[in-house]
Amino acid sequence: MAVRYARAEDDESEIGLTPMLDVVFILLIFFIVSTSFVKEPGLSPERPLAETAAAKARGNILIGVSATDAIWMHKRRVELDDVRSLVETVVVENPESSVVVVADRRASTGVVIDVMDRARAAGVSNIAVAAEPEA
Amino acid sequence: MTRRRRSRRGEDTAINITPLLDIVFILLIFFIVTTSFVKEFGVDMNRPSNAPVQERERADVIAVRVTADGDVFVENRAVDLRTVRANIESGLARKPKASVVVVAHRAADAGLMVRVVDQARVAGAANVSLAAAAE
Repeated sequence: MAVRYARAEDDESEIGLTPMLDVVFILLIFFIVSTSFVKEPGLSPERPLAETAAAKARGNILIGVSATDAIWMHKRRVELDDVRSLVETVVVENPESSVVVVADRRASTGVVIDVMDRARAAGVSNIAVAAEPEA
Repeated sequence: MTRRRRSRRGEDTAINITPLLDIVFILLIFFIVTTSFVKEFGVDMNRPSNAPVQERERADVIAVRVTADGDVFVENRAVDLRTVRANIESGLARKPKASVVVVAHRAADAGLMVRVVDQARVAGAANVSLAAAAE
């Protein structure tokens, strides 16, 4: 049936592009809106467990602290003194930025606190420590 | 010139949308590729600034100390991590408006620090702040 139908129409008919264009534009707008250029730290440590862990939708500066107290930002190792200027450059682009310190559960508290202090000195007031939600 | 030429052609010409479609597709592919749906879970940290603040009355603070060895003290009493919550709850019952200050040693595990802050929050403390122990 369908085959015969198509043949009867022959070459005269054109494919209507309008519905496809509509869909493409909607997809485009969806991806533009949902894109948040997250600065990934470049390591995925074992996060501490916490019962009150909540999703941080706006956390777009992720600073990693490994089990050996190495600090990672933008997928490379950085020194503690560089954290402030690196965070500042992101804050200039997006003043609404918030920081999530992704620390390994074996990292030392002193380094995590130092990183948080540097981030706050760079002008970010919304600072959280990443955790794994506990069931 | 151009205006005259356009009017001569009349209405039978359609706008060529092919280049527009090309650009839209390229944008679409760019946004699809760069979108990363990173959902980070975290615990908000309240890190008071180093600037001198009004000193709180001792009665308003429940101090939780975390040592380098992983021992937890609630108001100078050694407690197990699992009873931190109950201890803070009873402390809050005695002084309902108290805020909890977690004083963590710099060498303490970050995981333990996050757990203690989390437990304090579960216990119902409205204000949990983090401090580094003096060396």
